[in-house]
Amino acid sequence: MAVGVPRSASSRAGVRERGELILGQLDQLPTPPTIAARLSAIAGSDESSAHELVRTVETTPSLSDCVLRMMSSRSVHRGEAVCEPRSSPFILHPLPQGMTVARAVSLLGVQAVRNAALLALFFDTLSDDAEAGSAGGNRRGLWRHSLAVGCAAELIAESPHVGKIDVGGELFLCGLLHDIGKIALDVCLPKSYARVLRCSERQPSCVCDAEREILGLDHTTAGRRLASRWRLGQPIVDSVWLHHQAPDALPSTLGNARQVRIVHLADALIRRAGIGASGSMHEIDIKSSASALGLDQDALAELIERVPERMNPIQKALGLDVSEGDASYLQSVSQVNRRLGRLNSRLLESNRTLQLRSDCFNALSAFTARLSDHDRIADVCAAAADFVCSLLPIDRALAFVRMPKSSCLHVGTRDRASTDYRLPIVDCRLNDELTEWFESKTGCGIIPASEECDALWQRCFGSSPESFLWLLPIHTEAASGGVLFSSDESAVGPLRAAHAECASISSAIGQAVTSAAARIAAEELTDEFLNLNRRLHAAQKQLARERSISMIAQMAAGAAHELNNPLAVISGRAQMGLTKCEDPRLRRDLEIIVEQVRRAAGMVTELMAFAKPEQPRPIAQKLEKVLESACQHWQSVSDLRPDAIFLSVNDADASVYCDGDQLREILQAVFSNALTATDPDARQIQINSPSRATDETVRIVVEDNGVGMTPEVLEHALDPFFSSRPAGRGRGLGLSRAYRLAEINGGRLWLESNHQRGTKVTIELPARAPAH
Amino acid sequence: MVENGETKSIFTTGEVAQICKVSQQTVIRCFDSGRLQGFRVPGSRFRRIPRESLIDFMKSNQIPMDHLETGKKRVLVVDDDEAVVEMFSELLDRDGRFEVRTAASGYDAGILTEQFRPDILLLDFKLPDINGNVVCRTIRANPNYRHMQIIIISGVADPDEVAELKAAGADEFIRKPFDINAVINRVAEMMKVA
Repeated sequence: MAVGVPRSASSRAGVRERGELILGQLDQLPTPPTIAARLSAIAGSDESSAHELVRTVETTPSLSDCVLRMMSSRSVHRGEAVCEPRSSPFILHPLPQGMTVARAVSLLGVQAVRNAALLALFFDTLSDDAEAGSAGGNRRGLWRHSLAVGCAAELIAESPHVGKIDVGGELFLCGLLHDIGKIALDVCLPKSYARVLRCSERQPSCVCDAEREILGLDHTTAGRRLASRWRLGQPIVDSVWLHHQAPDALPSTLGNARQVRIVHLADALIRRAGIGASGSMHEIDIKSSASALGLDQDALAELIERVPERMNPIQKALGLDVSEGDASYLQSVSQVNRRLGRLNSRLLESNRTLQLRSDCFNALSAFTARLSDHDRIADVCAAAADFVCSLLPIDRALAFVRMPKSSCLHVGTRDRASTDYRLPIVDCRLNDELTEWFESKTGCGIIPASEECDALWQRCFGSSPESFLWLLPIHTEAASGGVLFSSDESAVGPLRAAHAECASISSAIGQAVTSAAARIAAEELTDEFLNLNRRLHAAQKQLARERSISMIAQMAAGAAHELNNPLAVISGRAQMGLTKCEDPRLRRDLEIIVEQVRRAAGMVTELMAFAKPEQPRPIAQKLEKVLESACQHWQSVSDLRPDAIFLSVNDADASVYCDGDQLREILQAVFSNALTATDPDARQIQINSPSRATDETVRIVVEDNGVGMTPEVLEHALDPFFSSRPAGRGRGLGLSRAYRLAEINGGRLWLESNHQRGTKVTIELPARAPAH
Repeated sequence: MVENGETKSIFTTGEVAQICKVSQQTVIRCFDSGRLQGFRVPGSRFRRIPRESLIDFMKSNQIPMDHLETGKKRVLVVDDDEAVVEMFSELLDRDGRFEVRTAASGYDAGILTEQFRPDILLLDFKLPDINGNVVCRTIRANPNYRHMQIIIISGVADPDEVAELKAAGADEFIRKPFDINAVINRVAEMMKVA
């Protein structure tokens, strides 16, 4: 066809124009021969009408052939049909012997033969290219529908319930031609009309809407134009034009309202019965139409049963039949049933899908609601296991995740029989190959689990899976893993088939894991940062201390050389003087000089010793002995009250591993500090060791009841040269040196002090030689 | 008495016989048997004995050294601090048992070691040109001075440096300031052993 079909309804004007063009094309369709008008005029069933009919039909050989075909098909027994479905309805088979039109009329009746003849004429007129294009099949269906409606209309008119109708004979033609517009449109625009039919099939609406949408005019308009042009008489024109109107919506002035109503009902009945193909899929209220005509359900049922009987010979003659009468009806019914069944199963299917989706959505909401800001990965896994448990009829599920570059699995489980929600991290090797496997399985939905998964299940639940083990793989950039559950195939089937849902479950869990991992990583980073900061602070402090110590060492080395030379001369000269001098007063002066030089040199040595202590030569010694001898020494040299020192050692077997001299020096420094801090009359110095022989380190705690230290003093108490005593008294190296000696012996020393309450010094040293 | 016996470095067999109070024939026999080390003068058959070989020979045969030396021990004091040098000179002179020379640098110390052939070296560590440990090591590397005693007397207090000095070959380390009697006694004691 030259005329294209608009793709869109947006251009209304264009569609209207197209409608005009189509009407023009309809006008060019061939007109049925004049005998059609003559045949239509034969309305009665009397002798003269029969004579007229026989005469008219016999003047056209093709027409008489067709009528005789009808005759023959009726005369043969059922199951011996001579008509095969044919490519063209007008290629006729050889006729049976001895048939005449007159005999046919006497056998089938005037009406039937007349109708058949008319049908053949119209059929002939509108069957150009009947088999051409995609609409071929549709057109056969349309003709069968038309034929069935014609028969049904005729039967309705004959029904005793309906009452006498003047134009009863015409009703066949009214029904037959009611969809003449469709046939005409199909002939003119086969491709476009096929589209109309497809479109109408999809939407359960009147085919007229689709026709107007696509072609710009509907078949009632087209049919009316054709019927008028062919001068088919007003009842037919009205039936063609108005058969889609609801019976009570017809104008009251319409003369042929009864015929129109009957055609409307017939159309509805045939459509419901599924005979032929009308193209319209929408439902028509049969009940009200029927009752308006005085027909009840039983009458309708009886009527519809009789349709095949009446239409079969005709459609056989026209080659429209596809099967035998009742069989065709049954086939129609079963066809409808099948369609219903299919529709029903589709509905059930979509219902199931919707139910599954809703379940998924609910479970997903519950899963999301369960997640919180402080979840560990295992918590997310447990939530994921719960998630899958709530979707399937299973009691147990297990979710696991492996973070990149980690050999540990984070596992969470859900067991309805137990309240235990999660397991700690499991050290289970999910090797790189397996991770790759997971990666490749992502998006595959639920798959049978691998053997490794089986082992993991056993480890977590302590028993083998009850049934087949399934895996829903989870893979994100942050982690790989999956959810494991045990279920038989039928239970898991629907979810397994729902790829989109599986993908969204997998991705929801994956996202939860990713975000938890990111949060945990951020937290760890913060911790790490704080830790680094603390270590940096400590390192800075240590560095500052070491710098000051190294400065002291440099200073001491320089001082040692520069000071010791003159000191040596002073001392040497004084000593030489002493050897010559007899005057006791002068001798005394010289002795003082020598003594003071020794003191000055001692300071330099002490400074040097602080900055660069001698390498310790550690030995293992009994702690108790060391402390006892130190106490005895102090008692003897410091002139103490007997109860001023209290010594207690928890474990007599405890030993200490360090340089003996240096330990004594440490103790001396700490003890001196305690002595200077305490009032001689109230002095209480407690020395105790809480350590056991099995400890790796021993502690010596020296506690005094002296003046204590203020926080400021405490802060600097271990700095070299710091002394809380007035300037010039003491060099302030005591505790600092003790600290340093403890340090080089692999130990520590720290202070606790309450101002005015006393000071507690704790010395910690190795108990034994290092293992290596 | 052999002339310049205290400082002479090469002796004839006659001189050796005089110093050791034995016959010249005995000296020749000992020389020829290798018990007394020495050399023959090139172009003649005269035997010559270096001082170190003679000292070794006398020590191994327990021959008194009186005729080789004046009886006074030679002490070389090396220090860049004039006051220190002066004090040591006075101290050792006054004692009477020592013959003292002084040097203020490592270079002077080297020259005097060669000329004066000290029995004992009192060496400061920090010298203006080369440090005491280098002087110490140089002397120890020369077998001619194997009988020389070296005492380092220094103000250094760094234990690492002290250890280093001892490693360089010093026999003794005395820290400044010191007890003068202790130093004199120690020097005298070391002389006896040597």
